[in-house]
Amino acid sequence: MSTTRKRVYGYLAEFKSASALYKAAEKVRDAGFRKWDCHSPYPIHGLDGAMGIKRSILPWFVFFGGATGLATGFFLAFITQVKIYPTVVQAKPANIFTVPAFFPPMFELTILFSGFTVLFGLLALMKLPRLNHPLFASRQFHRATDDAFFIAIEARDPKFSPDGTRSLLEEIGGSNIELIEEED
Amino acid sequence: MASHFVTSADIPADGERLHNATASKVKMIAGGVCALLTLVSLVLLFVAPESVRAPFAYSWLFAFFFFFTLTIGGIFWTLLHNVSNSGWGTAVRRVMENLGSIYPFMFLFAIPLLCPAVQQYLYEWMTTHREGLSQENVGLFDGALLGFYGSDSLKHWFEEHHHALLYNKAWYMNLFAWYVRVVFYFVAMTLVIRGLRKLSVAQDTDPNPGTKRLFQARFHSTYTFILFAITITFAAFDLLMGLDFKWFSTMWGVYLFAGSALNSMAVIIITVTLLQHAGYMKKVVTPEHFHIKGKLLLAFTIFWAYIAFSQFFLIWYANITEETSYFLIRNTGGWNTANIFLVFGHFVVPFVILLQAWLKKSPKLLSLMAVYTLVMHVVDHYLIVIPERSVSLMNILPEQFGHVTTAVPGAFWGDLLAFAAIGSGFVFFFLRALGSNNLYPNRDPRLLESANVSN
Repeated sequence: MSTTRKRVYGYLAEFKSASALYKAAEKVRDAGFRKWDCHSPYPIHGLDGAMGIKRSILPWFVFFGGATGLATGFFLAFITQVKIYPTVVQAKPANIFTVPAFFPPMFELTILFSGFTVLFGLLALMKLPRLNHPLFASRQFHRATDDAFFIAIEARDPKFSPDGTRSLLEEIGGSNIELIEEED
Repeated sequence: MASHFVTSADIPADGERLHNATASKVKMIAGGVCALLTLVSLVLLFVAPESVRAPFAYSWLFAFFFFFTLTIGGIFWTLLHNVSNSGWGTAVRRVMENLGSIYPFMFLFAIPLLCPAVQQYLYEWMTTHREGLSQENVGLFDGALLGFYGSDSLKHWFEEHHHALLYNKAWYMNLFAWYVRVVFYFVAMTLVIRGLRKLSVAQDTDPNPGTKRLFQARFHSTYTFILFAITITFAAFDLLMGLDFKWFSTMWGVYLFAGSALNSMAVIIITVTLLQHAGYMKKVVTPEHFHIKGKLLLAFTIFWAYIAFSQFFLIWYANITEETSYFLIRNTGGWNTANIFLVFGHFVVPFVILLQAWLKKSPKLLSLMAVYTLVMHVVDHYLIVIPERSVSLMNILPEQFGHVTTAVPGAFWGDLLAFAAIGSGFVFFFLRALGSNNLYPNRDPRLLESANVSN
């Protein structure tokens, strides 16, 4: 007998097909749950709407990341080429009207900063990388990348109750319902 | 996400047709206005005094090429839809085809540009060629390759009179080849869009609609896409770049193409919004379609800016006299303000606004952006054609236009008139095409895929 303390993570329920998952997700959404997720082997069109997920804030991060890149590109070129060390090429002006020459670095740095913001913003929002996930304790969960569709409702959701949530999952067509516990 | 899945039960078996009182009224008025204003324009082009005729030739070219880009853009989207095996666009494909089907009628408005009486004010190289051809012993056809690429005796005349550039360019820039090319532009694309539209419309009434026409349209869109690329590129060379035969830019064709694809998409967006507003296409076109079209609008806004800047950048950087003339003219006086305005108005503002996804899903807001884009396209084309007017006319007719600086006074009203004349014709032929068959390909095998699209 194990002496480690365990904490309830939540319920895991399997669904037969993508459309069953989709319909179940709409019902979980309507029941008012917030801390829950769907797991499917492939992306399902419109599932974000069925889950009631709001639009990600990431595009705003990327917009300001890109704008920072644009400004960096401009000031990098402007300060070095115009302010500190004016470089005269083919008698072209070394002032604000040199700006077309700066467009390539401005463009490139916009792309670079946007790309970095996408990657690191996404990782941060998804709280990745992480070493383990409580769902990995389930023996059936590995099928989520193969041929099974799951819904996991977390215990930290205020609507969660040991019996109520279980019966909800049964009602909406879930099978193999499993209580997932994580080691503390 | 659509509230429910669209099935074939939702699609009327015989499709939807435009029976709208407002549309037919607008069509009648546009047709009448077009006939009247074209008549006035013909007078201004051929009969009016030279001080009116000469500036108005530029007005006509500006208005003609503006609407030419919109219609040929309709052909582009039709071809792209077919060749990319696209599923999403089937619901709006007929609008693309109808927009493209105005193209043949654009030839009517191009006829004045084929007349020497109008060409003498626009294309200086033609005047020199005609002068050379009118000499004794100079024949149009007495050169190599049956004279197609200019005649030897004409080249001798160029040599004697020190027209070195025209001598070197005569293999491309000669009257015979110019006329052959312009006729080719209209014949080739007319056959393409007529054929594709016929194929598409025939499906609407087929009792056993299959995939045969779909694959046929896809096959025929491949090689004709090359013809399209040749047409838009060389039409831009022959009709616009030829305004100043000394100037050249290899980006020119793709620059005109970028504006063309962008703004015909704007026209498609506005058309579909208005049709939905009138109660049509409700089942098959969803906010998802507007989202996709909005994304294409954003993509081509960026593409236009990329091409426009690349053209400017290379010319600015290299600083070669023959190349810089274009931007020197357009960076003088008020044209400079307009050009800088274009950088922000045609790129920065629509770019930032169109980045937002929610806006692209709203037909009304997206249509407002499409109207804005079209207005910027007018400014763009005005800056392509009109700054050349005062420069050329000062040289061609120094007694009458020697005093003008960057703009010919009063000629602006001619620009408006020409724009209204060809624009009302555009509206007339577009509404005529929209009303002549079903508004969407109701028996296309991909229609349900398109109606249920999600992105």
